[in-house]
Amino acid sequence: MKFCVLLYAAVLFAADPPKKTFPFPYTQEELPNGLRLVTISTDSPNLVSIYIVVQTGSRNEVEPGKTGFAHLFEHLMFRGTEQYSPQKYQEVLQRAGAASNASTGDDFTQYYTTFSKEDLPQILAMEADRFQHLKYSPEMFKTETGAVLGEYNKNSSNPEEKLDEVLHDTAFDRHPYKHTTMGFLKDVQDMPNQYDYSLRFFDRYYRPEYTTIVVAGDVDSKRVRALADQSWGSWKRGSYRPDIPVEPLQKGPRENRVDWPLPTLPLIAIAYKGPAFTDTQKDWAALDVLATLAFSRTSDLYQKLVVNEQKVDTLDGEIARRVDPNLFEVEARVKRADDMQYVRDQILNTVKRFQNEVVPADKLAAVKNRERYQFTMQLDNSQTVAQTVARFVAQRRTPDTIDRLFEIYAQLTPEDIRAAAGKYLVESGRTIVTLTGAGAGGGK
Amino acid sequence: MRLLAGLMLASIAFAQMRSITLAGKSPVVTFRVVFTTGAAADPDKPGLAHLTAAMLAGGGTRDLSYKQIVDAMFPMASSVTAQTDQEMTTFTGATHVDNLDAYYKLFRAMLLEPGWREDDFKRLKDEASNALRVGLRGNNDEELGKEALYSALYRGTPYGHYSTGAVSALEKMSLDDLKQFYKQHYTQSNLIVGLAGAYPADFLERIKKDFGVLPMQDSTPTLEVKPRAMDRTHALIVEKNTRSVAYSMGFPIDVKRGDPDYPALLLMQSYFGPHRMSGGRLFQRIREIRGINYGDYAYIEYFPRGMFLMDPSPNLARRSQIFQIWIRPVEPPAAAFTLRLAAYELDKLVKDGIPVDDFDRTKEFLGKYVNLLTKTKSAELGYAIDSLVYGIPDYNSYVKNAVAKLTREQVNTAIRKHLRTDRLQIVAVAANAEDLKMQITGASPSAIQYNSAKPADILAEDKIVGAWDLGLRPEDVEIVPAAKVFE
Repeated sequence: MKFCVLLYAAVLFAADPPKKTFPFPYTQEELPNGLRLVTISTDSPNLVSIYIVVQTGSRNEVEPGKTGFAHLFEHLMFRGTEQYSPQKYQEVLQRAGAASNASTGDDFTQYYTTFSKEDLPQILAMEADRFQHLKYSPEMFKTETGAVLGEYNKNSSNPEEKLDEVLHDTAFDRHPYKHTTMGFLKDVQDMPNQYDYSLRFFDRYYRPEYTTIVVAGDVDSKRVRALADQSWGSWKRGSYRPDIPVEPLQKGPRENRVDWPLPTLPLIAIAYKGPAFTDTQKDWAALDVLATLAFSRTSDLYQKLVVNEQKVDTLDGEIARRVDPNLFEVEARVKRADDMQYVRDQILNTVKRFQNEVVPADKLAAVKNRERYQFTMQLDNSQTVAQTVARFVAQRRTPDTIDRLFEIYAQLTPEDIRAAAGKYLVESGRTIVTLTGAGAGGGK
Repeated sequence: MRLLAGLMLASIAFAQMRSITLAGKSPVVTFRVVFTTGAAADPDKPGLAHLTAAMLAGGGTRDLSYKQIVDAMFPMASSVTAQTDQEMTTFTGATHVDNLDAYYKLFRAMLLEPGWREDDFKRLKDEASNALRVGLRGNNDEELGKEALYSALYRGTPYGHYSTGAVSALEKMSLDDLKQFYKQHYTQSNLIVGLAGAYPADFLERIKKDFGVLPMQDSTPTLEVKPRAMDRTHALIVEKNTRSVAYSMGFPIDVKRGDPDYPALLLMQSYFGPHRMSGGRLFQRIREIRGINYGDYAYIEYFPRGMFLMDPSPNLARRSQIFQIWIRPVEPPAAAFTLRLAAYELDKLVKDGIPVDDFDRTKEFLGKYVNLLTKTKSAELGYAIDSLVYGIPDYNSYVKNAVAKLTREQVNTAIRKHLRTDRLQIVAVAANAEDLKMQITGASPSAIQYNSAKPADILAEDKIVGAWDLGLRPEDVEIVPAAKVFE
């Protein structure tokens, strides 16, 4: 034990962290049409990574029967324009030796490409073309919905996906966070009939005021801006503003269960309504730190349930980083169904303890150090730099939010953690969902 | 007979501790410590190599409990991760140079002074067994299919079992088995130390001195991996209650890094089915044009966890590799057709080779794309270690130089030489196995229904595809319940 204490001290004093957490210089500009451009010079030679972030995700799917459309669009965006057919688009990427893909979340859809710097002008122009002039036929549209159903199918063999789906459906009444990014299966199956709606969706959201381009790597910001003006400058600003329903205050604990048709280990998710992501208040950061203190590998509960008693084989806690209030969630995979009640009680007792007791200052300091090291250590190449910035851009459209968030972490006190637990981890905002497999040992 | 890499691998028994260093300015110091041993060295106790590595990376040391290690690494945001494959066991970690000394002390103790505690052992054994029962069989039809394919192709060879092992073998394993494995195989002759970042000038010497306590030699005889010859196409249907049908199929190839035809087959892979990219031929024909599933790819090297990764993990070097096609889950009504479509496309590739335009473009692609594989220090280090083992220059220049010289004729010749459409091993993970068996062995053509109109040339092609003979008789199809796989 002595060894550990010494080590903690060594880490605390050896580190003389710089004021700015984000270590690279960047520029942030807005084109007259509202498009945001962030250019980051990293010191890695030759490569460039572009992330185009559209602030549209499953959160924007406000109409009934139309869940999963943000994600469907991630697919449709590869269906070509008059200037670049899908084949031609692929050919350009291939000749550039580029790695390219896209992903969708609750709040955003992002498109990324990593390649050699000499191909920047062509790739930036080609991307501008598809964001402005995407064109697909009803037949192409229907074909792509088949690929989306295929994606649903490949996810569907995982019970954790199902647990997540039911948890959100149970915890939310009105806000689109009620459904997952994939959407409800019935909506995915109905997608082939929704060609006209898809055109409307594109017209609403694929607009400069929703979009930020992050360029990281061996680049010069003036040149990137000139290229952006050339190919993205004519993109027309839109006018649609979604009326995203506000989730009413939850007034009592909720529970649900999933019976998984195959043998699997039981799962339990305990979630609370948490705050929206913020880089100006302490609430979100305090719950983020609390999740680490209470439920990560170094927590007392992990030590008890996973290492000593060995009743649980995975335990995690996290607060989702979302534009609107989302969930603080603890999830455990339990080895025997008989222990489900015990594990549930242990998690609830831990929550109670954090509401009543303040955490030791040295533990809080260790988490702060960890957050900072973890953040800076991952930035070891241009693609992860762009990717990391894109994650923050999805919320706030600026890398400035990174340093602001880390300033908040630095200011957190043990009392802030306790206060956040007291305010948010309350029974009336709680949802518990369990999943048990066919023939799981004992219990029922 | 490919001598070069064979020699490299065989000569290990006489080599001394080796190292690869990439000194640089990065404040992050990256460790990759590889032992050239793995699951192929535990044929009688499947999972022993995996569990031994897991005990080092996820258990306590002689002086510190696992909890103390986790607590100590926590503020540094560091950890040690183990990866066990057939012939390589890799320990990776990274730390900020601020914390290098403290981190290294832990890293060193974990690898050199394992604590062998009973409670760690029990926890990690459960973890391995759950990885098989739940993580693989329960939750991941695609990886289950891929690993079942490897096990089927290498039955009776040292690669004949999955590196995580088998549930019943794990249950029987004792701590003494692990200690014995460690003593025999964690030797200086098997060790390659990889180090990158702004570490002090004398740091490598310190590591070498510390790791000098390991025994010198691994006395295990040189590994021989000779997959049995296949007489015809076989299919294995792993049956479970699941929504859709996942396929993997392939056969062993006598080509690995360093062999004359490796660059040509790598180019073939980049054309036919580059991992998670939409430009590949299989992806275009199956997903893009027909909308059948989420993706379709081809491989000439082992690539586990592909559903979670965009880039291959390094340090999975093997003396024997397979050619493989991965068809992502398909809705059951389209399953038989899709299997025929994959076989049809493979046949086309073998007969017609790569078209001229595609060849030029793929060549250009590969020459540049190879740079992206080593974009992180950890990957660069990993590829450098693999290159040392395979006996080739650094991977990027090896591929770039070789690909620049390739002609279309050379590539198409290599395709004809190494690929084939008969003597395939097919693995499907599916519900209603008997029904699928009937569909893929029967003489009646497989149909496909689309949700939209398709061009005439595609419909005409579908007629040929639907009637494509997979060469499967009912007696060539084996059905196994998922619960029995890796049990």
